[in-house]
Amino acid sequence: MDWTGYRSTSWDELIDAEGRPREAARPLLDYLSGFSRRELAERQLAADVTARVMGVTFTVYSEGRNVDRTLPFDLIPRVIPRREWERTAAGLRQRIRALNLFIGDVYGAQKIVKAKVFPRALLKDSVNFRPQCVGVEPPLSIWAHVCGSDLVRDGDGTLYALEDNLRIPSGVSYMIENRMVAKRVFPELFETSAILPVDDYPAQLYDTLAALSPRPGDTPVIAVLTPGIYNSAYFEHAYLAQSMGVELVEGGDLFVGDDDVCYMRTVYGPRRVDVIYRRVDDMFIDPEVFHPESVLGVRGLIRSWRAGKVALANAPGAGVADDKVVFAFVPKMIKYYLGEEPILPNVPSFLCHDPRERAYVLANLDKLVVKPANESGGYGMLIGPRSSKRQREQFRALIEANPRNYMAQPTLSLSTAPILGERRPEPRHLDLRPFVLSREDIYVTTGGLTRVAMKRHSLVVNSSQGGGAKDTWVVDTEEAG
Amino acid sequence: MLSRVAGNLYWFSRYLRRAENMARLLNVSSQLQLDLPRAVRFAWRPLVETLGAAAAFDRLHGEQGEAPDEASVVRFLLVEPEHPLSLRAVVGHAREILRTVRETLPQECWVTINHLHLHIEANAERVLQRRARQELLDHVIDGCLRVSALLTANVSRDIGFQFLRLGTAIEQADMTTRIIDAAAGGLVVPRNEDDAEAFRAMQWMSLLHALAAYQMYRRQLRQRVSVELALQFLLKDREFPRSVLFCLARIQGVLPLMPARKPVQQSLKRTLGLVFDADPRRLSDGGICDFMDRVQVQLAGLHDAVQESYFAV
Repeated sequence: MDWTGYRSTSWDELIDAEGRPREAARPLLDYLSGFSRRELAERQLAADVTARVMGVTFTVYSEGRNVDRTLPFDLIPRVIPRREWERTAAGLRQRIRALNLFIGDVYGAQKIVKAKVFPRALLKDSVNFRPQCVGVEPPLSIWAHVCGSDLVRDGDGTLYALEDNLRIPSGVSYMIENRMVAKRVFPELFETSAILPVDDYPAQLYDTLAALSPRPGDTPVIAVLTPGIYNSAYFEHAYLAQSMGVELVEGGDLFVGDDDVCYMRTVYGPRRVDVIYRRVDDMFIDPEVFHPESVLGVRGLIRSWRAGKVALANAPGAGVADDKVVFAFVPKMIKYYLGEEPILPNVPSFLCHDPRERAYVLANLDKLVVKPANESGGYGMLIGPRSSKRQREQFRALIEANPRNYMAQPTLSLSTAPILGERRPEPRHLDLRPFVLSREDIYVTTGGLTRVAMKRHSLVVNSSQGGGAKDTWVVDTEEAG
Repeated sequence: MLSRVAGNLYWFSRYLRRAENMARLLNVSSQLQLDLPRAVRFAWRPLVETLGAAAAFDRLHGEQGEAPDEASVVRFLLVEPEHPLSLRAVVGHAREILRTVRETLPQECWVTINHLHLHIEANAERVLQRRARQELLDHVIDGCLRVSALLTANVSRDIGFQFLRLGTAIEQADMTTRIIDAAAGGLVVPRNEDDAEAFRAMQWMSLLHALAAYQMYRRQLRQRVSVELALQFLLKDREFPRSVLFCLARIQGVLPLMPARKPVQQSLKRTLGLVFDADPRRLSDGGICDFMDRVQVQLAGLHDAVQESYFAV
């Protein structure tokens, strides 16, 4: 593979502005240089086949019933030096500690509101605030046990936090499967480089869940609650249940008895469940409390949870901090609760509920990215520099009608990494989603899921909108020498 | 074991075993046809009937009446999208179910079934070419056996495994009666009485092949194939694993390893009694088809009892 002539218009993760390999990526690039285009194409094909046969598929909603599509996998890994990663991981631990304190506070004494650090009005209008959770004290005072934070690097090389997914973040199974594919395709590299492993995650998740059991003495009965096989992340639910060795259940498999205990229906009769890693959204989890017509959830589950008979991860209501407007306050939360300076900077944000910031946003719609507070998956966004006049007018109306629900950020020049193009390596924008597990200590994955926009110049990396994935290597350069 | 998962394991093993038997039956039929003199016609219709698909077939090909052509039947039984129990659909069902119980079974099972599914989808249009058809059917048989082997070699003998065994045994007993039924009904259209006699043994030999039983039959009975002995072997042999009695005995062995449920035990007892009392000599003079129907009704009752007792709680 020929790297001469490879230039990115942004910060590139593997190659610097002069076209030289970054230190941590040098062994990889040297190795890839030894391949002809044809050899690489063959390996890409092998990777595609491996991925397809392993069933790395996800359902895309608009394609209707049960259509399998393989998540596009690009062969060339993204490389992160270990030293940089350690600092990033420390920043993530700090964020999640503050976020868990914030959620507990919001459903408890609301000190942060009384201290006027966080505006009461924002809380009142939050669609993710669940009055049913007020006064609940979950085990270990942790609400967001599993967090997937999205990180992006700007053109100057600074790594920013873009959002924290605290409801039901997905993608971790792709991180693990991507590594399995990469190992099959590039076994030689894993022999010679110090690439840190990623496959510890399921065991870590199991420990995180087991720590929540309401019956601490006994081996807990743990279940992953999935909406079912037509959910886009079903593959992941099955994968995690399988690799943890726990039950994968659907709403219909569970019921809550008159004793407020949650049971599974088994061939032996009912059996008690202690901990549920739920991958069903709050609003569908219990028809007794939320959407009454939901068939995905379990009637009485919130009752059982409030009574402390079953533990739920993530706790209902944790999404109150998973709101792009609340996100803007994370640096203030870190200072308020922890008395520390934020290690990871936030992407600068303008909140439309504030009249001054709103005026700025409305005057600069063509330069900013505007996001609704509560959408996920990259839906409902306006990317200013790529938008038409009509789209901007549409957003102007939306913002004026419901300012609380919108925020804006400068359009970052997301960093790139090379993908295997048809003729030569080509730069594509990417982000990074590490996963963070909270229990008494905090576990951060080694790297995370790198999502890459497979289309040239595209800034949208979401898998639901044609994004792909890369394996992510945290490399110990000192050890590798 | 979740009731839903137990039900899915049971159905998975049924579909897996069904796909394998269907592939064998069609493979052997295609070969039998090649052995017939040019003037003697192979009867495709009984294959459709024995697989319980006559109504669906007639909706699509009613105009062909009692003597449908090879192309229509083969396409229908193997790949027709309008036929919910085509071989392609059966493999598809097995795969869909496996998606929902992937975490329970070895990952290689999924890899194999997924591969098989992709292979059928890619080659569905070529099944009318004999070589491609045979290659596809061999592929299905191999894939199914590979999954069976993975289950036998790598799955813990827990309660879930017992549901797999239960499903396999019920399905094989059912498919064995269906394949016997097809041969007894006649797969060859005879020109006269002599023909009928001449081709009878040939058909029963094919039937033994379809159930992978020919070699075992010869080894055990050391005789030429006769209707009575073939029937005796496939219905009541205690050692051949695809015989009806063997399958029922296996169910008898599985039930004590599962939570005890009276209706299931009673239903099995009735089925066993029926097969145990059968007299192959008398049946071979006529009445095979009726008897096979009676066994199938009993097996359906056993299935319902299992469904009610374990899955629909």
